[in-house]
Amino acid sequence: MNQLIVLLLSAFAALPAWAAGSIDGEVERQAVNPTAIVMFVLFVAMTLVITWRAAKSTTSSASFYNAGGKITGLQNGAAIAGDFMSAASFLGITGLIFVGGFDGLILSLGAFGAWPVLMFLFAKRVRNLGSYTFVDVVSQRLARNQIRVVAALGTIAVVVLYLIAQMVGAGKLIQLLFGLPYEAAVIIVSVLVLAYVAFGGMLATTWVQIIKAVLLLGGVTLIAILVLARADFSFSQLLNMASAQHPKGDAILSPGVVFKDPVQIVTIQVSMLFGTLGLPHILMRLFTVPDMRQAKLSAFYASLFMGYFYIALLILGFGTIALLYGNPAFFDDAGRIIGGTNMAAIHIATAVGGDILTGFMSAVSFATILAVVAGLTVSGAAAISHDLYAEVFKQGKPDPKTELKLTRIAVFVIGIVAILLGIAFENENVAFIAVMPMVMAASVTFPILLLSLFWPGLTTRGAITGALVGMVASITLIVLGPQVWVSVLGHDEPLFPYNYPALFTMPLAFFVIWLVSVTDRSERGVLDREAFDRLLIQAEYGTPAQSEKPGH
Amino acid sequence: MTTDSQLAAARRKTRRRLGFSAVHLVLYFSFSLNWTPASTAIQSVFGVGSISGSIIMFVLLVLAFIALEFLFLRVERESKA
Repeated sequence: MNQLIVLLLSAFAALPAWAAGSIDGEVERQAVNPTAIVMFVLFVAMTLVITWRAAKSTTSSASFYNAGGKITGLQNGAAIAGDFMSAASFLGITGLIFVGGFDGLILSLGAFGAWPVLMFLFAKRVRNLGSYTFVDVVSQRLARNQIRVVAALGTIAVVVLYLIAQMVGAGKLIQLLFGLPYEAAVIIVSVLVLAYVAFGGMLATTWVQIIKAVLLLGGVTLIAILVLARADFSFSQLLNMASAQHPKGDAILSPGVVFKDPVQIVTIQVSMLFGTLGLPHILMRLFTVPDMRQAKLSAFYASLFMGYFYIALLILGFGTIALLYGNPAFFDDAGRIIGGTNMAAIHIATAVGGDILTGFMSAVSFATILAVVAGLTVSGAAAISHDLYAEVFKQGKPDPKTELKLTRIAVFVIGIVAILLGIAFENENVAFIAVMPMVMAASVTFPILLLSLFWPGLTTRGAITGALVGMVASITLIVLGPQVWVSVLGHDEPLFPYNYPALFTMPLAFFVIWLVSVTDRSERGVLDREAFDRLLIQAEYGTPAQSEKPGH
Repeated sequence: MTTDSQLAAARRKTRRRLGFSAVHLVLYFSFSLNWTPASTAIQSVFGVGSISGSIIMFVLLVLAFIALEFLFLRVERESKA
């Protein structure tokens, strides 16, 4: 029972970061793993060759931002999956199932739930109205400079926060998997991402994400087959084995081991679904395909890959319970799993596939971080060079060479900032930083994007006010919640009880946008409302030039 | 197609998009029922042998989401034809 309490406490400590796409919680530096390092070097060599080839065709800002719009729906679906299936999903969700059984699945469903909505509401319309970023879409209808500045700053805030969480997670994870020092891990990640993005732009980033997705899905499939083989290829038998091994017995097959409060479950669901729909680096991928049909197919293929991935994690998760509990090789003298609960997914690879599979999955986990950070870096660079410099400062008429140069400078700045923040936050509790980007995306970018596409009454004043209120409310409630008020500031009780306030901040942002828009009597408000019908047609049918393309 | 007919068609498509999204969101948030007293009913409706109703519900929801997307693509394609 003591072992279970230790595991549950570590799961609670790390939970918010897992859900938001970061690795946090306790880590213990492991011995240097030569197999993992060799496999990772092979991955890096392959991706650098791709970057070198991609660099030849990345000669303009346009090709930098959207890979020339030549990625197919299938490739883009794989890249979206590669962008989103983070190390946190693979290691964190498997770890939570290892600790709490069924309760871990709420994070799987939360991570998966956004993709159908992305297809129904956004894929086609965002693709038709924008060029490179989601900010292009919202600025089509609203006062371009004001909304661009607010939306671009929102993008940069989300990207930087997400980046901090990723870099700290990367440092800890690589320490965990490869036995490398934290600072070295942060610098390696940044330097590699700089190489991919600065020279290969979105094209290199796309292929890094595709290769990572294929490797991750391949590795997870292999482990799932090997786990099922231990249970005579019977999932029912696997669950029997798991409940026989876990200290909580049959309780792990049903809800309630980790989470008790249904409101807490809904707060997680709201934050993960609507937060994902507002992530700028995910929305940006919709512009890499040639037409709106491929954009819809991108979302569909992404769903297929991710649906498969999260069902495979179900097998892996219960496999860790069945095969690791009771095996002293994976626990230390204090009864804790070696390396912490995030290592359960790697230990199951060891249990069923030995050192080779362990090395492979460790290398894939590292590659996973590179793919996610590369996507964030492209998005952040585009917000600076396209949304702010080209569209606001140069009013849509930038010097192309200067813009490309600025894009690359922005990439380097983001890389250096990532290293500095990664090292600065090494010993900080970053769980709240990992929560912020999802909550802010749900409360800032998602409402203005949704309403700009679907509500005729939206005005610039309403969008800006609502976005600012959403941002302030998100930060305030996170600070008053358990992650900062108790864990960081040391108070006994939080003033706000939930880690994920999007259930409250997102409706507040919608309400403020509605209220300010309907009471907006300005001339600009009239223009904003009148523009809706024209943009609705463009959103559904594209511009005349787009409509002539095949597939429309 | 005239602008008016395009606008009418776009509004129909908007209703369809929102309809599919609403169905999806109802299914998605129904998963939280597992943490309420309705959990007992879920176990008895979906449970098979040692596989709990909650786990089967998770798998069915993932498959239902993909099926819903497939249906949406089909409907979009047929409405275009």
